[in-house]
Amino acid sequence: MPGIPRVRRNRIILILIVMVCVTMITVYAREGDNGPLHKIQGFFTDIITPFTSALAKIFRPIKDGVMNVIHLPSLLQEKRELERQVVSLRRESLETKELRAELDKLKALLRWSEGSPYKETVGAEIVAQSPDNWRRLMIVNKGSSHGVKKYMSVVTDSGLVGRIISVGSRSSVVQLITDAQSAVGGRNSRTRETGILEGRNESTLRFIPMSEEAVFEVGDMIVTSGLGGSCPPGIPVGRVTEVRKRGRGLTRLVIVKPFVQFSRLDKVLIIITPEPESAILKEAQ
Amino acid sequence: MSRRRKIAIGLAMLISYLLQLSLFPELKISGVQPDLMLVIAAVVAIQDGPVEGCIVGFIGGLAFDLTGSQVVGVGAFSRAATAFILGVFKDMFVTYTVLLPFVLVFFGGLVEQLLYHGGLTVLGSEVLAPLNVKHLFTVAFYDSIVILVFFPIIKKFKGSDSADQLGAVRTGM
Repeated sequence: MPGIPRVRRNRIILILIVMVCVTMITVYAREGDNGPLHKIQGFFTDIITPFTSALAKIFRPIKDGVMNVIHLPSLLQEKRELERQVVSLRRESLETKELRAELDKLKALLRWSEGSPYKETVGAEIVAQSPDNWRRLMIVNKGSSHGVKKYMSVVTDSGLVGRIISVGSRSSVVQLITDAQSAVGGRNSRTRETGILEGRNESTLRFIPMSEEAVFEVGDMIVTSGLGGSCPPGIPVGRVTEVRKRGRGLTRLVIVKPFVQFSRLDKVLIIITPEPESAILKEAQ
Repeated sequence: MSRRRKIAIGLAMLISYLLQLSLFPELKISGVQPDLMLVIAAVVAIQDGPVEGCIVGFIGGLAFDLTGSQVVGVGAFSRAATAFILGVFKDMFVTYTVLLPFVLVFFGGLVEQLLYHGGLTVLGSEVLAPLNVKHLFTVAFYDSIVILVFFPIIKKFKGSDSADQLGAVRTGM
């Protein structure tokens, strides 16, 4: 802005910045998911995805190197633990062979009785993680052009990772189950008690049982209940590591360690069918 | 601000943006990562002035707002406002020491997170994790460590046309 005094120019710039911010916040808060700012956001994410994807590959050896150095002391302890587990697993392996034959028969019966719905999935690669310290989000390189829709579940062979909360044409944002905003219906696979699994922005989850009389033990496996309609039932989530009794008759607090190791994630599966009920309802509206 | 310096800051912002999305989330310490864009905005605010820092903070914050699903404008505002405050605060110090950017960015890190968290909470559209003081201080500390790396690098590109009071003092950085 030539010809304008510096002080006045600075004042104009400051006012402009504040006005632009306020306008953007207002427009974003009032518009729907298909509003212009949401579209720009999706478009922007699509543009940077190839770059971050390439950089993630370049930086992987550096990351692995740093992580190895950091984890060196625990590796020795892990080695001893693994040796102990090998002995135990060899013994269990013999028992498992017998049980597997029985399980195959039961599975065949179960499929026949339930007519198990075919779950279509799409593989995706994690290309970026949230730069935000208050959220646990990841960006994957699959979007609406691959059939991905909002609220679809994201899994790995270990268990539930999270769900899609924002979809671009070639990328999507995944909200991890550890995110403080995440809440998923869960079930104790041993006792069949249901509850809600909440993220805490930490490495563990909080399971809030529906019933105060529910019995939980350390080691119990938690799977998705399917209640709430966002996640298909039966997806493994984690194992109970701690059971706390809150005072004044409040609901018992159960801490669950997820099966998925989020720091080592690079590839995930997005469950396309069955579609989450919330997405179907939204489309119907 | 010289053309060479503008290019250097632009490049630093671009590299930081890509690093922030690809490398730093993998190198979290105590579950947090530094806010590189705030650090660059703070460096510019300290070395060039509050308005220049404010512009850099705005552009950097907007870039992050557009990546993900957060409300667009909140991150831009929080970083721009913080850089401006830091630039104004810097002018209040008569003497300059190596510790000044460290202390200013630590303070800026706290302010930025409170603005960002507070902004989103007030808007109510994004329910974030509860404000955690330990988390808050760790991020601010991490930011202030990172500025010790960025500060001398960006200062190297400070042209002779912008010899302000900072250039006149003996900094040792």
